[in-house]
Amino acid sequence: MGAHVSVPMYRRTLAARVGLEGRRCDRCSAVSFPPRGACGQCRGRSLTPVRLSGVGTLQAWTYITAAGAPPEFAAQVRRDGGYHVGLVALQEGPRVAGQLVDVSDPEIGQPVRAVVRRLYEEEGVVRYGFKFAPHMGEQLPAEGV
Amino acid sequence: MGVAVVAAGQTRFGDHPTSGVKELFGAAVDDLLADAGTAVDLDRIDAAFVGSLSCGQGMQLGNFAPALLDDAGLPPVSALHVENACASGGFAVQQAVQAVASGQYRCVLAAGVEKMRDVSGDKGRYWLGISGDTEYERLAGLTFAGVFALIASRLLHDGAVTREDLARVSVKNHRHAALNPKAHLRRRLTVEDVLAAPVVAAPLGAFDCCPTSDGAACVLVTDSSIAAEFTDRPVEVAGWGSASDSLALHSRADFTRLDAARRAADAAYAMAGVGPDGLDVVEVHDCFTVAELVAYAELGLSSIAEAGARLRAGEFDLGGRLPVNTSGGLKAKGHPIGATGVGQIAELFGQLRGDIAQPERQVPGAEVGLAYNMGGSGASAVVTILRRAAD
Repeated sequence: MGAHVSVPMYRRTLAARVGLEGRRCDRCSAVSFPPRGACGQCRGRSLTPVRLSGVGTLQAWTYITAAGAPPEFAAQVRRDGGYHVGLVALQEGPRVAGQLVDVSDPEIGQPVRAVVRRLYEEEGVVRYGFKFAPHMGEQLPAEGV
Repeated sequence: MGVAVVAAGQTRFGDHPTSGVKELFGAAVDDLLADAGTAVDLDRIDAAFVGSLSCGQGMQLGNFAPALLDDAGLPPVSALHVENACASGGFAVQQAVQAVASGQYRCVLAAGVEKMRDVSGDKGRYWLGISGDTEYERLAGLTFAGVFALIASRLLHDGAVTREDLARVSVKNHRHAALNPKAHLRRRLTVEDVLAAPVVAAPLGAFDCCPTSDGAACVLVTDSSIAAEFTDRPVEVAGWGSASDSLALHSRADFTRLDAARRAADAAYAMAGVGPDGLDVVEVHDCFTVAELVAYAELGLSSIAEAGARLRAGEFDLGGRLPVNTSGGLKAKGHPIGATGVGQIAELFGQLRGDIAQPERQVPGAEVGLAYNMGGSGASAVVTILRRAAD
C-alpha cells in the first residue's frame, strides 16, 4: 500500500470518516476507532459497528508547515500557511488524530468535538472527513456530526 | 553456534548525484574490501539480505537484491530484499545473523541502500509517508515529523523534557558528525541555532529532523568458527531482538512511548547476558530529536525524566559515560533509509575494533555496543548487541 488513498479505498472508509462509525468488541465491550480488524484491547475479532459521539479531549497537538505536510495538503498550506493537528481521546475510549479547526491556540486538555470538513482534493475528487473543533458544551445533532 | 561480524563497509551518506542504487551498493562493497584487506573472499558469500524502502521512482523494484548482487559481481546466491521501513537495514542484518545461527549458511552479506536525493520535495514527502498509518494519520495531514511532534508536544506539556533538551540532541549529534567524514551534515550547531530554525511541525524545527540522504552500507556475517579465516579481530553478535507495534500513535496504550524498542531491547539484553550498564557505545534511531530521548528510556539508558539532565551533563557525548550516536546518528550522519541500520552496525564494528580513523571519535577500549533501528514511528524495531571477541 502506498501513501496514496485511492478513491475506492476512500469510499470503503466513508462510514468512519464521515459517520464516525467505530466498532465495539463483542467480548470486552471496548470501542475501537478508527475501525480495526481486531479489538484494540483484547484482540477479539467479533466486533459490532457503533456510532461515536465525536466528543473528546485534546491530548497533544502540532502545527504543520509546508516542510512537514504530505503533498496532498500542499494547497491547504499554500492558502493558510499551515494547520494544526491534534491527538484526541474520544469519550468512548479510543484516540484518533485529526486536524483542528476554529482554534488558533490549542490547549492540551481542552474539550473538542468532531466536525465534517473537506480534507483535500485529489484525482478531481473532494475528500471529506472528520476534523475537530472546540467543544463549548453545545447540543450535538442527534444524527451525529 | 556463535555468529560474528568480520567486515564492514559504507559509502559517505549525503548527495551522490552520479550514483544510482547499484553504484552505491558497489561502493559499499568496495569500502568493505578496502577495509578488510585481501583476507575477505566475497566468493564465499552463500546468501545475502538487502534492506531498502526503495524510495522514489525509476529504479529496480522487483528482484531488487538479485539485481544488486549481479551488478556488483557477487556470487549468484540466495538474495532477498528486506523491507521494514526505516528499520529495513537493521532487519537485513538480523536476517543474516539468524541465517548463520540456523546453521544453513556460514557466510552471509547484510546490506542496505537508499537513493533519496533524486526525489523532488513533494515526492520525497510522499514516500516518507508510506510507512506510517496511511489511512488515518496521513489523512489528518501528518507525516513522521508531525507524528513525532505530537509525542514531543505531550512530553513538553508533561514537563518530562524541555525544548532545550530536544535541541541538545541535535547539537551533540552534529558535533559527532563534524568528526565523521562519512556523515552528511558536518556543520556544528548551537542550541540557539536549533531553536531559531524554521518550524516543520511544531515544536520540531528543521534542525530537529534528520535529512534525506543517499547511501549504502554492508557487513559480512559468518559463523564464529570460521571468522578467523576472514579477520584476526572479529566482533561477536552477542544478542538480538525485534518487535512490532501499532503503526498509528492513536492505537498505542501510551503514545509517548516506543514499546517495540523496549521489547526488542529486552530480548537482545537477555540473549547477550548484559544490561544497559554493560554498554560502552550505542547507536540509536534519532530520526527526530525527541526520538533519541525516548530511546534512552526504552533501552534503559535513562528514565525519560532524567534524560534531559543526563544529556546536559554530557553523559551521552563522546568522552561521556556512554557515548550515543558517535557516528552523528540519523540526525547528522544522515538517513539513507535502507542503509541506516546497516551503517549503525558498521559504526559499532569500527568502534569495538578500535578502528575509528579519527582519534577524537574513537571510544577508548569499547567492548560492548548496541544498535537500535526503528521503522516509521516505531511500528518495527530491531536491536543488536555486539561484543569485541576475546583475544
